[in-house]
Amino acid sequence: MAKVNTFRALLLGCAFFITLVLFLAVGALFMVPSWEDIMTNIWSEEMRFSLRLSLGTGLLSALLVIVFSLPIGFALSRFTFWGKGLVKTIIDLPVAFPELVLGLCLLLLFGKTPVGDALKALGLEFVFTVQGVVVAQFFTALPYAIRIMKSTFDYINPRMEFVSRSLGYGQVETFFKVSLPLARSGILAASVISFARCIGTFGTVLILAGGSYMKTETLPITLYLNISYGNMGMALTSGLVLVAVSFVAIFIFEKTEAQL
Amino acid sequence: MSFLRLDDMRIDLGEFSLRGVTLDVERGEYLTVMGPTGAGKTILLECIIGFYRPEGGRVMLEGRDITDEPPEKRRIGIVYQDYALLPHLTVAKNIEYGLKKVDPDKASRAQKVREMAESLQIDHLLHRRPGTLSGGEQQRVALSRALVVEPRMLLMDEPLSALDPRTRHDIRDLLRRVVKKRGMTVLHITHDLDDVHALADKVAILKDGKLVQHDTVHRVFHRPCNGFIADFVGAAIYEAIALPDGNGAGKVSMNGLTLATSDHVTQRAEVRVALRPEDVLVCAESPTGVSARNIVKGTLENLYREGRITHLSFRADGVCIPVIVTTSAYLEMGLDLGMERYLVIKAANVRIV
Repeated sequence: MAKVNTFRALLLGCAFFITLVLFLAVGALFMVPSWEDIMTNIWSEEMRFSLRLSLGTGLLSALLVIVFSLPIGFALSRFTFWGKGLVKTIIDLPVAFPELVLGLCLLLLFGKTPVGDALKALGLEFVFTVQGVVVAQFFTALPYAIRIMKSTFDYINPRMEFVSRSLGYGQVETFFKVSLPLARSGILAASVISFARCIGTFGTVLILAGGSYMKTETLPITLYLNISYGNMGMALTSGLVLVAVSFVAIFIFEKTEAQL
Repeated sequence: MSFLRLDDMRIDLGEFSLRGVTLDVERGEYLTVMGPTGAGKTILLECIIGFYRPEGGRVMLEGRDITDEPPEKRRIGIVYQDYALLPHLTVAKNIEYGLKKVDPDKASRAQKVREMAESLQIDHLLHRRPGTLSGGEQQRVALSRALVVEPRMLLMDEPLSALDPRTRHDIRDLLRRVVKKRGMTVLHITHDLDDVHALADKVAILKDGKLVQHDTVHRVFHRPCNGFIADFVGAAIYEAIALPDGNGAGKVSMNGLTLATSDHVTQRAEVRVALRPEDVLVCAESPTGVSARNIVKGTLENLYREGRITHLSFRADGVCIPVIVTTSAYLEMGLDLGMERYLVIKAANVRIV
């Protein structure tokens, strides 16, 4: 009789147990509501608004996150500079913060302060507005994207950039011709994770942008508001849509990564 | 005026540093740079090419101070041990990469890529991606990419060390043909003494960020300026007492074994003596009529074969004398542990360092 590898069995058992619990938890979301209810709720005005706002702000926030995480990740990976440790710590803080605290911090910064007033003068008002939804999603997702981009650039041999420079390419040209193409799988990963994170941001959006019905109502806010009203059908439907969006994002990520 | 002059170059990167390196390289010279791990060899190259700016000192190329010039303006090529090929480009695109900056004509570039690939025997690989190539093929591509832009000089950081012995031999031969034939000025970091013997005109040895000797290959190997270098280049080192004979030459007494030396000895002094294993001849009988002044009897204590050469270790008058012979010579002599043989050493090869 083949000898049982206890260590292997223990680890696999642990992996399968957690997978099963998660599978049942997600599955429960699909089992509880009736499909007629779901279809009715999906086409409701509130859900369509919420979905549109979530996708719009999620895409814009994810784009902004990538635009900022690329240079920050590259700088943290390649350069040694004064205060690097401090910059890394502060940028990473939102990962450890509860979203509600991050939202509160942003609310205090962009509220009735000189910073808030200056931005307001430029036409940027972040408190209880759709712009605020984007800002809340941006700051929540940014540290994750920076971490992914830094690891991506850490993994790229800087000697390739050195060689490029020795062959006549400047620092900026080298970034676009060598570093960026080699970082494409990292950029894809950061985009998908950022988008999923932005779509799912709740606490930060609630505090900074306010959970206003049909105004700053993203999918997690719809779920929260409807749970509060006792409207389980709408709450479950928004939960299902969130799961579906995350699933599609991860599916695209897996497919594209396999092709890279 | 030197082609390349490093003038009191200093940099401290924590783990690696250069502490006042001054070095002159002539046009067309092939200089190998050696030294233990952490000696600052790679930093030296990367300061020359401009990836790091020295904190002190200057880099002069063809009489011009290039210390503050960015790497893209220096026209210095570099080849790394890990090739650093761009994995998202084909071999042809990798070789063409630098050419795009110096030759705007696409047809001309294609022609140059083809010619370079043919001369390095990689023309059949042009459509492939670097990840699908063997180490030797990748190194040829890296070399082609560096040479095709006709750099003012070429820097190589252990270009052969990641290759298997057969490929290393082939690429070394290729380097000799392609690089030396072009009369290119080269700085080549290596740990392999075969690279030095096959390619170098001169050797520079670094230790702890300092240049400890820079001289012709023969002088570094046969006249190492200190015990560290003697040891580094494979010579045996002995603590000895120098004994003058009154005529300027003399003897060295090494823990009981006394050998004549051609080196200048004016007074009795504690010295270190270097002896190269390949400078010791092994004879079955005491040789007669030879010019060598040192003939000692030794017992074979240890031996191991390493391909075509065999390392022997004799003990003579309490002193261990390492000897290198070809494996065929070892087999012909029928040597075995415990056998006694005569060791012949020329006085000129007993060097006080």
